[in-house]
Amino acid sequence: MSDNLVRVAVDQELCIGGGICEMLEPEVFELDDDVVISSVISNGLLPRNRAEVVVDRCPGQAIAIVEENLDKER
Amino acid sequence: MRSTVDMAPSAVVETPNVTDPSLYLQGIPHGRLAQLRAIGGLAWHPYEDGGFWAVTRHAEARYVSRNPELFSSAIGHTNLWDLEADALEARRSLIDTDAPDHTRLRRLVAGAFTPKNIRRWEQVVREITIELLDEFVVQGGGDWVDMVAAPMPIQVILTMLGVPIEDSNYLVELSNYLVEGTGDAQSIPPDAFGNTTELRLLPFNSPASHALFEYGEGMRQQRRHDPQDDLVSHLVQAEYEGERFSLSEYRNMFHLLVFAGNETTRTALSHGAMALAANPHEWRRVLDDPSMIESATEEILRWATPVMHMRRTATTDTELAGTEIAEGDKVVMWYASANRDEAVFEDPFRFDVGRADNEHFAFGGGGPHLCLGAFLARLEVTVLLEEMAKRSLCLEQTTEPVRARSNFVHGVLSVGMQPRSDR
Ligand code: HEM
Ligand code: SF4
Repeated sequence: MSDNLVRVAVDQELCIGGGICEMLEPEVFELDDDVVISSVISNGLLPRNRAEVVVDRCPGQAIAIVEENLDKER
Repeated sequence: MRSTVDMAPSAVVETPNVTDPSLYLQGIPHGRLAQLRAIGGLAWHPYEDGGFWAVTRHAEARYVSRNPELFSSAIGHTNLWDLEADALEARRSLIDTDAPDHTRLRRLVAGAFTPKNIRRWEQVVREITIELLDEFVVQGGGDWVDMVAAPMPIQVILTMLGVPIEDSNYLVELSNYLVEGTGDAQSIPPDAFGNTTELRLLPFNSPASHALFEYGEGMRQQRRHDPQDDLVSHLVQAEYEGERFSLSEYRNMFHLLVFAGNETTRTALSHGAMALAANPHEWRRVLDDPSMIESATEEILRWATPVMHMRRTATTDTELAGTEIAEGDKVVMWYASANRDEAVFEDPFRFDVGRADNEHFAFGGGGPHLCLGAFLARLEVTVLLEEMAKRSLCLEQTTEPVRARSNFVHGVLSVGMQPRSDR
């Protein structure tokens, strides 16, 4: 079940703008050049195992999984 | 604050000392740190007239880093010893600040250090690296620290800041005096560079800090009128929610940028070279498959752990790993130990350029203070490996390293290397 799609979101209050998310998942996260806060670009979908890694590695604990099991929707 | 009287006697008796700087002349005291990791809970480590909680496992270093409201960077100091309040105030930079000040300062500078904006400097890093490596090869080797590891990061950051070439020797000199200030001996008098500030109010108690402040101020004036594509102009123009750096925030930030990436990156490049020389089969793996440079970079950072610890101070009574921590207690995260935690890293004492899922704490354990320069430092290590690989350059270590007498930076003062051409 580890590759089920989930949706991630960034809490911009908590983001410290280090860019770990953009490094790990450049298709999903992008740092704004002016305010240096991460936002979700694209539809925010990631396989669950990869989503769990960014959630875990985000130093600001700013990323969360907000929707589960969005099976293969695009 | 805690006295030894109210401590469990066992904790007092059994804690092996890991702060004596002379231990580090022989390298990180890994045996003692492993003993500390094995103690259930946290160990109380005596230090000067008090002590600190030694956080030596990966999981708890992570927790402390990521709970800044419980573990402050702004109280006391982020080094083992406390600073007096006025000194702390005068010297305060990003690194010893808590939210909301920290968030504001960090957002003012962070834009320059995102992965995307750091990649813009790749060519600069590469040119500097090529020049140093070519010289190293032409000379048939020599002191790796002097020839490659030290000049590379300082030249990179000075270029990024926008310091003109003709001034760079002066700034290199200042930065070397600062490095000295982290050890026991200052070789310059308190009034050097026309300094009149009491030394304890200056970063690293060094008159060179005064000179660096002055220089940074000159650049600020200049860039205000004539902005360039460089970091000082970024700092001068940076604005977040209508706020800018105050003068003292600016000069401490300038100082931090000149200093923070130097000894640290130098240390990573020195231990990296030593590890590659000692493990030729690991370097061979990289030469055979350059796509391993990314994981090799992370492994070098884990292996080197240039910054061996950082300190926080408890803001309230709390509990960690079953240990009661009192408000005001010092809590010290030993990255040097977390990076060898057998609960997280398989075979932690093996240097493995292909190590997968390498969540090392060379840049701290996460949280808001995670190293600002992490992507720049990674780029510097990666470009060095790429350029070495392009030349099929193998290293042979010719002398024992001379290590820094420091429990804070895992420094190497010199180590001989020579190119080995077996390919
Ligand atoms: C291999 C090289 C480097 C290592 C190992 C390293 C390590 C660290 C560590 C351990 C911290 C403290 C993290 C914490 O308290 O959680 C830190 C903070 C910092 N580093 Fe680095 N660093 C390196 C390179 C750089 C470079 C190249 C720069 C920039 C020019 C830099 C700038 C900073 C700054 C400004 C901070 C303070 C961040 C804050 O408090 O928000 N570092 N670094
Ligand atoms: S990893 Fe977390 S803190 Fe860092 S930029 Fe992404 S969301 Fe922000």
